[in-house]
Amino acid sequence: MKIARHFLLPLSLIPVSFSMASDTEYPLTLTNCGTEISFSSAPEGVVTVGQSATEILYSLGLSDRVLGTSVWFNPVLPEFSEVNAGIERLADNDPSFEAVVNRRPQLVAAQYEWHVGPTGSVASREQFHELGIATYVMPADCDTKDNSTGGDGTRTAAFSPAHVYKGITELAAIFDVQEAGRALVTELEAREADAIAKAESLELPQDLSAVFWFSSPDSSVDPYVAGRLGSPGYMMEKLGIQNVIQSDEEWPIVGWESIARSDPDLIVIARMDRRRFPADDIEEKLNFLHSDPVTREMTAVKNGNIIEMDAHAMSATMRTIFGLESLADALTTLSFER
Amino acid sequence: MKLAAAVQLPMVFRWRWVWLAPATLFLAVMAGTAIGETAIPLETILKVLANRLWGADHAVDRIDAGIIWNYRLSRAILAACCGAGLALSGVVLQALLRNPLADPFLMGISAGASTGAVAVTIAGLGAGAVTLSLGAFAGAGLAFSLVVLLARAAGSGTGGGRSAQAAGAIILAGIAGSQLFNALTAFIIAKSANAEQARGIMFWLMGNLSGVRWDDVTLGLPAALGGLLVCLWYRRALDAFTFGADSAASMGIAVRRVRAILIAVMALVTATMVSMVGAIGFVGLVIPHAMRFLVGNRHTRLIPASALAGAVFLIGADIISRVIVPGQVLPIGVVTALVGAPAFAVILIRGTRRR
Repeated sequence: MKIARHFLLPLSLIPVSFSMASDTEYPLTLTNCGTEISFSSAPEGVVTVGQSATEILYSLGLSDRVLGTSVWFNPVLPEFSEVNAGIERLADNDPSFEAVVNRRPQLVAAQYEWHVGPTGSVASREQFHELGIATYVMPADCDTKDNSTGGDGTRTAAFSPAHVYKGITELAAIFDVQEAGRALVTELEAREADAIAKAESLELPQDLSAVFWFSSPDSSVDPYVAGRLGSPGYMMEKLGIQNVIQSDEEWPIVGWESIARSDPDLIVIARMDRRRFPADDIEEKLNFLHSDPVTREMTAVKNGNIIEMDAHAMSATMRTIFGLESLADALTTLSFER
Repeated sequence: MKLAAAVQLPMVFRWRWVWLAPATLFLAVMAGTAIGETAIPLETILKVLANRLWGADHAVDRIDAGIIWNYRLSRAILAACCGAGLALSGVVLQALLRNPLADPFLMGISAGASTGAVAVTIAGLGAGAVTLSLGAFAGAGLAFSLVVLLARAAGSGTGGGRSAQAAGAIILAGIAGSQLFNALTAFIIAKSANAEQARGIMFWLMGNLSGVRWDDVTLGLPAALGGLLVCLWYRRALDAFTFGADSAASMGIAVRRVRAILIAVMALVTATMVSMVGAIGFVGLVIPHAMRFLVGNRHTRLIPASALAGAVFLIGADIISRVIVPGQVLPIGVVTALVGAPAFAVILIRGTRRR
């Protein structure tokens, strides 16, 4: 047995080998968003910067290791509301570097590089490493994304849940809970497959098209809509829907003139608790679509083919799968006779 | 200003060409309606206008019709109003303060508007119920009031408001007020913005006409026309101010009252425009200078010429902002600066040579 372990040790340095071992072999070294990180044992305490990282750790049953959370977009998933209530929220938005360090974590798990990365608003990864605090950034934010261009970064290749699964698997390995990680990925994969099968059974029109409207900076100005390579782009591709927006930016600003003239069959609007812009409110979005002299003439508006979706499901997180499910469910209730 | 006032510059202007003004404006508005983010055939555009203006009954796609009438035409008209309003503000402030660098944002208006806008959108003041425009207008008003109070205090502090000192006090108060409000804006952004919000607000601050609809025109058109009428009413006083407030006073002009009225009206016009489309730079600075070279210093000509040139220039800049990058709309402030700066340079150089 001991010999076998010695054989497995070098293998465990290669991330691919996670599927083989059920116990993590420390020291564990892996490359995360271009930075080599290593662990001599499972971290005792972790601070999260980003809701997605927080929810993945909760899903892995690691809530007792979470010392503090930050960067919240929406209420926590309902199944974790009780757990979350007992954990200190360092900040709703960006926490300060000292607030994070002060919790004495061994690991900082971040959702976005713009918080913890080369120009991180909280700190660079080196700043944490100098204090002996390891960092982990969700691969969904860097594997296929260049965060140095475009306001919210630009995708260099299409987002796929594989990057979320990779994050889950790697975090599970870091914390030595690989069984839980595998179970979570298996569950998400099954839900993904079910949603796709559901959409396929609907025999939707071949050239079905859609636009995902996130929000707008002011009432009637050009909105933020989903580019083709982000999480909404993935949902549309899997369900056989064309995105009328061709930008590679994550959330490009596109004029209503362009959107209306491309006249998508389907408009997906984001539901969120944030109230910074009037259009954050889903009622405002609906009101605009039905009252604006141009958008009210759009096919999707006339036919009532407007779908509401949780805003966080439109970001590159495990909630993407929930968004895919809700979109597939919504499609079963709509008709696309043209 | 001093130089321009002292030297008689060649005048291209002749009264018999005056019909060109409405014709140019009309053509500019038509161009603004015909050219946009997406290509719509000219025939469709003419049909929509015929339907709307003469009750003709051409069959057109309802989305196209809505875009042409409700998006593009209203946008072109409001661009014209903003261009005219900003250019007039520039004319007035440059004349009153005898400072060639004076522009509509001198009185802290754009800085205040930015603060108001970020207070609403980033700090969450009003919790989504207050629009960005309203926040910007309130911020502009607040900043302007503060600058005026400061200028008055400083003006009286330098010995009973001698006119030249008063003008200096206004400029310095404007700079101080702008700095204060810029700092407040930076504070709010640093305290609570994330990258996405900061980008949205920056885009807006550089000027954005995409949200313009007819109800904006019902606010912008009276503001621009009102500003124009007030300027024309005081055209002789403005001529007198060009030679200094003391000369104006010796010509029987109530210097303090006229200056207060003109500055307040122009601030109101500017704040109205900024609250609708953001702080579009360069128009108010460049257009008055350009027009002085073309039609001379007499405000009887300078005022209408600047209003027209500002209107046409901003419509043109808006067209460029929509077509220069396919599938994307640039902030119009970027275009006005990119086009305005070299154009200004050419005018300056040619003007100097002619002297």
